[in-house]
Amino acid sequence: MPEPVASVERDGRAAVVRLQGDLTVPTAKALFGELSEVARRRDVKSVVLDFGGVGRIDSSGIAAVSLVGRQLERSGKKLEMRELEERHRAAFAMVPKKVAEPAPIADETALEHVGASVIDAWDGIKGLTSIVKDAGAQAVLVASRRKQLPAGSVLAQILEMGVNGVFIVGILAFLIGMTMAFQGVTQLSRFGAGVFMADMLSLSMVRELAPLITAIILTGRTGAAIAAELGTMKVRSEIDALATMGINPNRFLILPRVLAITFAGPALTLMAMFIGMTAGMLVASLTIDLPAIAYWSRIAEFVTLGDYAHGLIKSLLFSWIIAISGSLFGMRATGDSSSVGHATTRTVVVSVLLIIFVDAIFATMATIL
Amino acid sequence: MTALLECRDLVVGYDKPIVEDVNLVVEAHEIVALLGGSGCGKSTLLRTITGLLPPLAGKVLLFGESLYDLPPEGRAELLTRTGTAFQQDALFGSMTIGDNIALPLRELTKLPQALIKEMVRMKLGLVGLSGFEGRSPNSLSGGQRKRAALARATIMDQQLVFCDEPSAGLDPVVAATIDDTLKQFRATLGITLVVVTHVIESVKQIADRAVMLAGGRICAEGTIAELERSTIPAVHGFFHRVPPPMTTSRTAIDAITRGAS
Repeated sequence: MPEPVASVERDGRAAVVRLQGDLTVPTAKALFGELSEVARRRDVKSVVLDFGGVGRIDSSGIAAVSLVGRQLERSGKKLEMRELEERHRAAFAMVPKKVAEPAPIADETALEHVGASVIDAWDGIKGLTSIVKDAGAQAVLVASRRKQLPAGSVLAQILEMGVNGVFIVGILAFLIGMTMAFQGVTQLSRFGAGVFMADMLSLSMVRELAPLITAIILTGRTGAAIAAELGTMKVRSEIDALATMGINPNRFLILPRVLAITFAGPALTLMAMFIGMTAGMLVASLTIDLPAIAYWSRIAEFVTLGDYAHGLIKSLLFSWIIAISGSLFGMRATGDSSSVGHATTRTVVVSVLLIIFVDAIFATMATIL
Repeated sequence: MTALLECRDLVVGYDKPIVEDVNLVVEAHEIVALLGGSGCGKSTLLRTITGLLPPLAGKVLLFGESLYDLPPEGRAELLTRTGTAFQQDALFGSMTIGDNIALPLRELTKLPQALIKEMVRMKLGLVGLSGFEGRSPNSLSGGQRKRAALARATIMDQQLVFCDEPSAGLDPVVAATIDDTLKQFRATLGITLVVVTHVIESVKQIADRAVMLAGGRICAEGTIAELERSTIPAVHGFFHRVPPPMTTSRTAIDAITRGAS
């Protein structure tokens, strides 16, 4: 049980509150409750605070007293302070005579929110066109040998994006190929058509799954990494440093990444296609005793070069979507570390969305044409 | 002879003006300090002068050419003749110190690698970081990083170098070393320096002339001795550590930045 901080006595229409002990954070809640209760009583016209028994006062004690003082003032009552020691008086002098209300923070209305989103999206589109235009112009300069890319940067990026991604893309392609093969064998065997599993699996791997798996992994590994790296560079003014050196940041940072993913994305996709089909081959030979040579010859007969081209072109577009959105959102990071997190999140969300969207367009076009 | 840097009726800011009416001339071989309290717009002005933030109005002339009237390629070309050392050093975290400093040479010139290495070695020696080529920026102390940034900003022997707060946040000994390095750069390489700072001691040490920003404009300009004797409250307060009255009203700011009328 904490000690009581105040005892109240009545003196006619006045209430005399004798305060005791330290008026600090541990006692502030009790003090404030007690004082506001006294201040609210209808029959009390003035409150006298007796500081005779008070030890230390900290900001919470002062805040409680000054808040109650303002409540009393508003209801036309009086507050008197007695037995104030010099150090208490000095502490109360901290309270500003006139307290300015904090400036209200305007709540964003729904309409304003929509407007802000539209403006933000418009800024994004403008940023996108300017980055694509400038990177394109720089690419022309590099191609015509008037400017050069930073030495070794494309190769380093290919290593990071492609070679270091081989393991994870390979594992996923294998597992998905295997799962699809089991599904196919189970369903098709019911009609005695188990052998057609090779056609089904190879076609879906080459045209759909390999580009998609690769793109999703590249988004998580590479797109997020591009956004985080460029975002951090922006926040640490490293991009500004490049600009003041007269080095074009788009040529120095974005172009090598876009070029690297142009090779790494389709290469990983091609690998994923064959690993997926190999997984199918293993399943086929284990479940329906289809010999490997028969499996591959069915595929060679069934999957045309056009199917491979379809998968690889999609993969190229997906790769560009990933590299460009990573660069765009990374470059748009400003100010603080949370903006780098935002940039990464947006890159992943926007890339995945656009990739699925483009994929759907391809599927529709392929069916109609 | 044309001035290395000239600002004509410059207004800088993001959406709203932060500093207005900037008229400033920096001649060759000068060390000019751009003074002002925190948040007065020194760094924003520097961003505009170094080509990072287009001005809201007015012109920036570098070596007699109007920076923002040039196409982007020409602007980049003009900026290669200047060097900038940033407040947060802005060294590339993914590169070694040697690669950081060599970067402008590698990107903008066709010098052979051996020569570039030698130039980096010399420059590192000049800022007192001999043998730091292979270290990563993260393994350096704040003062060492600032010196490395200085080496990078001067690697092309730029005639005009901008330093944003070169000695802020450093202990007095390290700050004095940086000041010495800056003076030495002028003596040996003949470079012109524009130093943005709020560290009075270092201003007294290095600057020939100072320009003081307060209340959104240039409020005083002159030699350090002249500014020290100034009666304008903002300048007097800055040099003699007098806190201004707490106010944000326009008339009060005018009174502080223009002297009592």
